[in-house]
Amino acid sequence: MVPEEGGQAETAAVIEARGLEKWYGPGPEDTQGYAVRGIDFTVEAGRCFALLGPNGAGKSSTIRMISCLTPLSRGMLRVFGMDAHPDAREIKRRIGVVAQDDFLDPDLTVEENLVLHGLFYGQNRTAARRRAADLAASLGLADRLGSAVRALSGGLRRRLVIARALMGHPDLLVLDEPTTGLDPQARLVVWAALRALLREGVTLVVTTHYMEEAERLADELVVMDHGRILDQGAPHDLIRRVAGQDVVEVFDVAVPRVVDAVGDLGRVEARGDACAVLTDDPARVVERLRRELGAGRYLVRPADLEDVFLLLTGKELGE
Amino acid sequence: MTGGARPLRWPCFNRQALVVWYRNYLSWAKHYKSSVAMNFGEPLTNLAALGFGLGAYVAKMQGVPFVDFIAPGLLVVTAMNAVTFDMGWEAYDRLNESQIYHGLIAAPLTPAELVGGELLWEMTRALLYGGVFFGVLVALGLVHSWWAVLLPLPLLAVGVLFAAPALWVAAVARSQEQLFYYYTLIITPLYLFSGVFFPLGRLPAWAAVLIRALPLYHAVVLARGLILGQVGWNLLVHMGWLTAYAVVVAALPTSVVARRLLA
Repeated sequence: MVPEEGGQAETAAVIEARGLEKWYGPGPEDTQGYAVRGIDFTVEAGRCFALLGPNGAGKSSTIRMISCLTPLSRGMLRVFGMDAHPDAREIKRRIGVVAQDDFLDPDLTVEENLVLHGLFYGQNRTAARRRAADLAASLGLADRLGSAVRALSGGLRRRLVIARALMGHPDLLVLDEPTTGLDPQARLVVWAALRALLREGVTLVVTTHYMEEAERLADELVVMDHGRILDQGAPHDLIRRVAGQDVVEVFDVAVPRVVDAVGDLGRVEARGDACAVLTDDPARVVERLRRELGAGRYLVRPADLEDVFLLLTGKELGE
Repeated sequence: MTGGARPLRWPCFNRQALVVWYRNYLSWAKHYKSSVAMNFGEPLTNLAALGFGLGAYVAKMQGVPFVDFIAPGLLVVTAMNAVTFDMGWEAYDRLNESQIYHGLIAAPLTPAELVGGELLWEMTRALLYGGVFFGVLVALGLVHSWWAVLLPLPLLAVGVLFAAPALWVAAVARSQEQLFYYYTLIITPLYLFSGVFFPLGRLPAWAAVLIRALPLYHAVVLARGLILGQVGWNLLVHMGWLTAYAVVVAALPTSVVARRLLA
C-alpha cells in the first residue's frame, strides 16, 4: 500500500466523511428509511473514535458504510484515502469488523472460526493457525481453541469475535456496540483488550450507548441522534462545554422551587423524579439550596457524558 | 457496484471461493457419516422397492430390465437431492438463523466469490453422493459399461444446476415453508416425470416438451446411456444442454445474495 501524498504522518486521516447520507428504500423523502442525514467527521490514525447515540441514531448504518458492508447513498466517505463501497477489497483487507451480532460459525470450533477468517485475508493455514494461537493467548481464549462455539459464554464469544476481526492484522478495527449484553467483568476485559490495541497503533471506531465505555476509550466522540451529529469533541471538552463542571442532584423537590432557589448559579434540568443543577460552583449551590429549601438530599458529582447526552438529545442513553 | 439492477451475475471461482469451499468441508467432515446415511435411505429404498419389487411385474423398459432402467436415474436424483436440500436449508440458515454469511462477508470476500464457493462445494457433494451411489450400483451388478467413468461430467453439471436455484430460492424465501414449496412443487414433480421411472413417451405431448426444456431429463438420459453403454452422438447433445443450462443458472443467485448481505 502506497501512502497517500502528505498522509504518512501519524496525523493522517484514516476516515473522512463529508455530507455522508444513507437511506434504505426509495429515497430521503421516506423518513422511515432515512438513517444518516448528512454527517461530517474525520478519524485520525491511532485514535479511538466513538459514535454515541440511542437506538436508531444512525450509528450502525455509519459503521456499516465504513466497513464496506453497505453502499452510501450520497456524500463522500473515504477510508485509507479510498472510496468506501461494498466492492472495495483494498479497504476490507485493512479493516476488521466486530458486528453487533456475533455471526460466529456454530459448526466450527473456535480455532476453525479464526483460521478461516485468516485465510480470507490471504494467509496460508500455517500462518493463520499461528495468528489464531497468538490472538487466543492475548484474549484469554488459549485453552478454548478446540471448543465448539456453542459452548462459549457471552463474554468469551465477544472476545472470539474481536479475535476474529483481528486475524487480518487490521489497521482499523470497527466495533458496533462491542460490550452490549456483557456483564461488568467481561466488559472490563474487552476494554482492556481495546486499549491494548490502541497502544499498538490500531485505529478504533466504536459505537456505544454506554457512557462509561465512551469516556474510557474515546479520544474523540460524536453524539448522534436521528441520523445527525449533534455535537463532537474530546469527551472531557464536550462535557465541560455542554454540561459544565459539576452537577448537583436534588431529590423530592418540585422543579420550579429549585429554579427559584438556584437563581443564576446554575441551570436546572428535570430528570425523572429528581432535578439536576448544572453548575461550576456546586458548593454555593448546595449552600443556597440548604438555606432556601432546608436540609434535603443533595448529591454533588462531576458532570458526565450522560448529562451531555440528555442536554443534546433530551433522552437518556441506552433508551 | 453491488447493483441489484443486474439480475444475472456470474459467480467467481478463485482462492476466496476455495476458502468458502474449505469452510463447508470442515463443517461436513464433522458429521459426514450421518450425512451420507441420510442421503441414501430414499434412493436405496426406491431402488429396492421399485426396481426389485415392482420391477418383477414390469415388462422390460426400452429393452432393459426395469431395475436397470431406473438405477441410473436414481443416481442422478441422489445427487440432485443431496445438492438441493443441503443448499436450500443451509443457505436459508446461513442467511437468516446462524447468519454466518454476514460474518464471512465482513472479511475481504464478495458475494460472487461466496456463491462460487458454495457452487464448488455442491459440485463436490454431487460427485461424492453420486459416486457412493455408483459404488452401490457396481456392487449390485447394475453398471454395464466402462463409459460410466464419464459420469462425473453430468454429476458436476447437476451440482451447479440444482445448487444455484436452491440458493436463489433460499435467498428470496421469507420463511422455511417457502423452501418447502420449492421442494414439493418443483423438485418432486421434476423427479417423478423426468424419465427416471418411465420414458417421456408416456406423457402428454405438452408435458414432454416441458420436461425436455428442463435439465434433469438430460442428466438422466445421459447417465443411463453411460451406465448401460448405449452411447451415441446424442449424448453429446444432452451434455451440451446440461452445460448451457449450468452456465446460465449459475448466474442466478449472486445478485440476490448481494442484496441480502450488502443492503
